[in-house]
Amino acid sequence: MSFAPARNVLFATALLLLPAAALAAHGTTPLKVVETMDIDAQPAKVWAIVADFQNWTWLPGVSKIEGSGGATPDQAKRRLSLNNGVVVEESLTKFDAERMSLGYHVDSVDLKRLPATNYSVIVTVKAAEGGKSNVEWKGRFYRGYPNANPPPELSDEVAEKAVTELHKASLAALKARVETQ
Amino acid sequence: MKHGARAALLLALCLGLRCARADEAFVANQSSDDLTIVDLAAMKPVATLSIGGKPAGVAVARDGSRAYVTSPDGKFVSVIDARERKVIKRLSISGGPLGVAVAPDGKHIYVAELFRRRLVEIDPESEKTRDVEVGAMPSGVALTPDGRFVIVADRDDNALSIVDAASFVRVATVSVGRHPFGIVIDAQGQRAYTANVESDDVSVVDLAARKTIASIPVGKRPYSVALAQGRGFVADQYSESVSVFDAAAMAPVSRIKVGEYPESVATSRDGNMIYVTNWFSNELWSIDAKALKVVAKATTGDGPRAFGAFIRAAD
Repeated sequence: MSFAPARNVLFATALLLLPAAALAAHGTTPLKVVETMDIDAQPAKVWAIVADFQNWTWLPGVSKIEGSGGATPDQAKRRLSLNNGVVVEESLTKFDAERMSLGYHVDSVDLKRLPATNYSVIVTVKAAEGGKSNVEWKGRFYRGYPNANPPPELSDEVAEKAVTELHKASLAALKARVETQ
Repeated sequence: MKHGARAALLLALCLGLRCARADEAFVANQSSDDLTIVDLAAMKPVATLSIGGKPAGVAVARDGSRAYVTSPDGKFVSVIDARERKVIKRLSISGGPLGVAVAPDGKHIYVAELFRRRLVEIDPESEKTRDVEVGAMPSGVALTPDGRFVIVADRDDNALSIVDAASFVRVATVSVGRHPFGIVIDAQGQRAYTANVESDDVSVVDLAARKTIASIPVGKRPYSVALAQGRGFVADQYSESVSVFDAAAMAPVSRIKVGEYPESVATSRDGNMIYVTNWFSNELWSIDAKALKVVAKATTGDGPRAFGAFIRAAD
């Protein structure tokens, strides 16, 4: 999956029924998705690309990235312009070069693009056997519907599936970026 | 005390008629649907109880006899015999039960229903209930040490509700920072402290005056707060730190780096240690409350929340 919007008519209908204020809130159960991928390159080489927070143009479906604050947590922000014209804003929450790990929060909530709220990510590069890398892409988020008894298209399962696909696609794109360098 | 000395002390206690237990943490793991009981002297898991319903909130009775665990998705509260480490029964709760606290005498529990703007009082023996309207998305719950007032963090109202425990009437609301989640009350019953997730600060509330007297800046996305050694300890989820503040000066002291996405902090009964659950990295960390240093780490289940007073005192 790319950052492209989900084509779901039912889903758009459900959105209309949501009170605007409710989108700011979220439910009770944070969801967790952890995806990993082996990459055939030294961890330092992979981390150099991940650490370049303002230049993740290798992400699928992204046409342009503008940002400020470099890679300083609580200051760095970036705006991803997607191929379909949607803009996604993100803020860096942590940058730990020693552990080769960074985290960011997705400030833009657009349930048509991704049926999840309060979505944040930690990407960590770990050493694997034979001088290779294992990259972990972890997400924390809530389903799109903030209250009890969500409509089926805004359930925990739908959110988990969408985020899992996004993480797999992002890891595959990182792998392609590193291995074809 | 060093681990070896603690183990030796434990062994000595076990030579008596009854093997006394160390302090334990009752850690509700929301993603793995269970509860890890961690021996805090050894910092080792000693039991795992199946809970279900995506457990999040925990409250252990002062006498250590019972622990209560909320399951917001399952819409129930599990009553646990804390000594026997067994689930005794489930109490059904509508809405999304999250925050929970036990009265000092252990006779009632108080559960915040996130989606229904209600605080519910339950007698866990008779299962009789009373409920009262509070604010929007009520989250953390705490009682004054005398048991007279129940204080609820009404997350989406940016306020606290003060409920008279005897009449079960909401007697006041107090404005605090943005999205208060965790709440703790000092041993004197004079001040309440809330961790405000969206304003990245802690509100200090004078309970007699019923007003906020200070706000203390902490790290990003604070979820919960605990008190020890005249200091406050705050789990900052995005900063991945525990912020420490001086309770008298109402000012920051330092920040301690912890695991990924710390959620819930609690204090040992002797006030010497702080424990923090790390939701993303599935760990419980201990911190020396005087030296302000990380002491040890224990593995939990997946997605440890343990929102509430999750420490069972040694007996």
